Amino acid sequence: MSGFVLSVENLTRRFGGLVAVNDVSFQLRKGDLLSIIGPNGAGKTTMFNLVTGQYPPSAGRVIFNGADISGLRPHARAKLGLGRTFQISKTLTTLTTLENAMVGAFLKRQNLSEAADYAMHVLDMVGLGARAGIKAGTLTLSERRRLEIARALALDCSVLLLDEVMAGLNQKEGESVIDLVRKLNGEGLTIMVIEHNLKVVRAFQSRVIVLDFGRLIADGTPDDVLSDPHVVEAYLGRQDA
Amino acid sequence: METFLNIVIVGLLLGGIYGLVSMGLNLIFGVVRIVNFAQGELVMLGMYGAYLSWYLLGLDPYLSALVVVPCLFVLGVIIQRFVLQPLQNEPSMQIFATFGLLILFQNIVLAITRGTGYSVHSEVSRVVLSFEDINISLSRLIVLIMVILVAVGANWFLHSTMYGKAVRAVTQDRRSARLMGINVELAFMLTFGVGSALAGLAGVLLAPIYTLSPQIGGNFILAAFAVVVLGGLGSVWGAFFGGFIIGLIEAFAGYYLNPELKHAIWFLVFIAVLIVRPGGLFGIAGAEEVGLREQD
Amino acid sequence: MNKTDGQAMPAALAGNGATMRPKVTTFGTELGRIGAIGVFFAIFIVLFRGDPFILNMMAYTFLFAALSTSWNIIGGFGGQFSLGHGVFFAIGAYTTANLYFHWQISPWLSLVPGMILAAMVAVAVSWPTFRLKGPFFAIATLALNEVALVLATYFDGITGGPRGMLLPFKAGLENMVFTSRLPYAVIMFGFLLVSLVAAAWVLRGRLGYYLQAVHLDEDAARAAGIDVLKVKLTGMAVSAALTGIGGSLFAMYLRFVDPPTVLSIQDIGVKFLLIALIGGVGTLYGPLLGALLIIPLESYLRATLGGTIPGINLLILGGLLVIFALFMRRGIFGAMQGLWERRRGARQ
Repeated sequence: MSGFVLSVENLTRRFGGLVAVNDVSFQLRKGDLLSIIGPNGAGKTTMFNLVTGQYPPSAGRVIFNGADISGLRPHARAKLGLGRTFQISKTLTTLTTLENAMVGAFLKRQNLSEAADYAMHVLDMVGLGARAGIKAGTLTLSERRRLEIARALALDCSVLLLDEVMAGLNQKEGESVIDLVRKLNGEGLTIMVIEHNLKVVRAFQSRVIVLDFGRLIADGTPDDVLSDPHVVEAYLGRQDA
Repeated sequence: METFLNIVIVGLLLGGIYGLVSMGLNLIFGVVRIVNFAQGELVMLGMYGAYLSWYLLGLDPYLSALVVVPCLFVLGVIIQRFVLQPLQNEPSMQIFATFGLLILFQNIVLAITRGTGYSVHSEVSRVVLSFEDINISLSRLIVLIMVILVAVGANWFLHSTMYGKAVRAVTQDRRSARLMGINVELAFMLTFGVGSALAGLAGVLLAPIYTLSPQIGGNFILAAFAVVVLGGLGSVWGAFFGGFIIGLIEAFAGYYLNPELKHAIWFLVFIAVLIVRPGGLFGIAGAEEVGLREQD
Repeated sequence: MNKTDGQAMPAALAGNGATMRPKVTTFGTELGRIGAIGVFFAIFIVLFRGDPFILNMMAYTFLFAALSTSWNIIGGFGGQFSLGHGVFFAIGAYTTANLYFHWQISPWLSLVPGMILAAMVAVAVSWPTFRLKGPFFAIATLALNEVALVLATYFDGITGGPRGMLLPFKAGLENMVFTSRLPYAVIMFGFLLVSLVAAAWVLRGRLGYYLQAVHLDEDAARAAGIDVLKVKLTGMAVSAALTGIGGSLFAMYLRFVDPPTVLSIQDIGVKFLLIALIGGVGTLYGPLLGALLIIPLESYLRATLGGTIPGINLLILGGLLVIFALFMRRGIFGAMQGLWERRRGARQ
């Protein structure tokens, strides 16, 4: 009704006395590419985990395709179409690359060969087709990141959440992952990215929100946001301090 | 009323035994993050050690601690160095390996003793203190006093000495501890050694109370697991109070229900605690998960 | 078929062009392999049909191979190291023994209630214990086995208590009681085939992939839409049901059931796991291989040295457990697989 795929309303999460995410609200339309940035400890990953259901929120709601999913557990959210990757990549190391993708593909396909075919299809999509038969434990870091994206795509997800997919990659690898993300977004996939690196955010040239101490302090285009004095202060500290 | 008091005393004395048996297990878990399934067998070895010292050297079981405790310390260091250290990142293999040690120790003793039951005598174990209708055997009282001393000592050690602080640093964050120049492997070996020595001490003190059998470790390990799960893994006071809680439950269940059902009652308590407070009554919530997660 | 609203993945996206998909082992392939194994052992049975000693050994080997294969479904594929499978084994044994003893119900029929009861108890007790991970799950299952032992000894109306239950000898196919050892070896062989087929069906289908995902990384599994608890419970139910069948067959083979035998931690519960470890935990044929080595070795040790050195068989098994944990974590089958993969890799 509202036209938003994902809408976060006054989301708050406390850990004891610490407020990791504080009254954050934002919306995503279909086909958006949104970057969440902020200094270390700003609450980005907590925010992510609230959206994917790793923790329940202390207050606020997450609305996905018009339905309140705040009370659902992670696997149920994945079933509805929320795909994610992890900051520390979680590939299933003793399975092959293909089998890793199949674990995702089985969500909507019962049959083994159907799941394998679809898994192969998404591996081709992320550029891992040639590595399908080898053990995922032997993949490079950037390949593992791609594999996690493939596993999420195999779920037929409608929103993909990427947690620092560029971390630890060299420039060339990073650029190729950026290309992949843009390509997927260009095909209509709604994507939310956590990023630490401001260069990456500029490369996307799309909407950015900034978290600092759990609060949303800016929301706009990369150029606007990165010149906002609050954001500069959050990243660099106050000049006079 | 006297019955009630009697049951409480029986329970407390039993709790002392369980607490003492759990101390080593809990220490090893708390620091090395390994669940030592063979801990009950270390207690059993301590008991046989006391018997052997008495048989060969004519030592009173209580004096045999001077021999047995250092021997088990060395055994513990050896186990940690040669069995568990290579398996540091293999949690499931740790289960296999310590379970293998359990079977191994138990059956080595069985093969040597051929299943003959032994008992150890001490002048002390004949002494019974009586207050009106209440009888307390001195050997059980000694266990109770010892568990208090061990708990206080362990707490003092961990919080007030440099070594203790280093050990706690290792527990909290292995990598940082390593960066601070703490030799983590050595700390683990010493901790396992101390945990094993505590099992030996428990064995020595329990030798005059129980009839020795190779399978006796099984009784202790389950009680010890119940205690640490109840009290909280890795918490010294958790093991201390957990022991008394289990002891009291057993004493009351034994009197009002049926002594044969005590295991079933432990288990129910155990499951209930796991569901309500997975970290135990005194432990940090989530400790049962931390146990598996590699910290490096 | 499931192109739900707003789906992201139009086929046009397959930018790099389709690559040949590597072959995925199917259930059908495994059926062929199991068939080959079946023919091999069938010949073996025929060859030794007149030798009661070998038939007895085969019956035990097949039984424990099947039980370890069943344990492996949740323990190996799913990574949940249960030490309490003796409970499900005992449930099968006592269900069959009671129905036969009191109501003369054919053991062939009572396999079914034994299975169902074992699976139900497994789900009921695993529900709370699956909150626990790794060693803590193992402890809880160990405790469960001890509780079962206490209860079985205490409720002697059902179990005959410490005296046990001696089942009447009335030879006949319908009673599953025979004078010769041959039919027992055949029955155990049948059970082995059933459990291998069941394990293959699990491993080569969605449940198997889900169990492995849960084993390797629960967070990743959840992110892939897997209901971790449900998958574990399903795996446990299948595993326990098969274990229950084993208990029923064991009761009829010995015609005697008592708590210390069927609920022995070392001789029953841990043995399933030990056999799997030696053969290869989590591999389909590892448990079979492990049983082929362990059961004959154990009977040999017991027969030759058991009288002079009690516990020698378990002593060796305990030692093997430590040695395999240290040096051959993937078991014999896993090690062979590794060698084969390396050789194939070198050739390419």
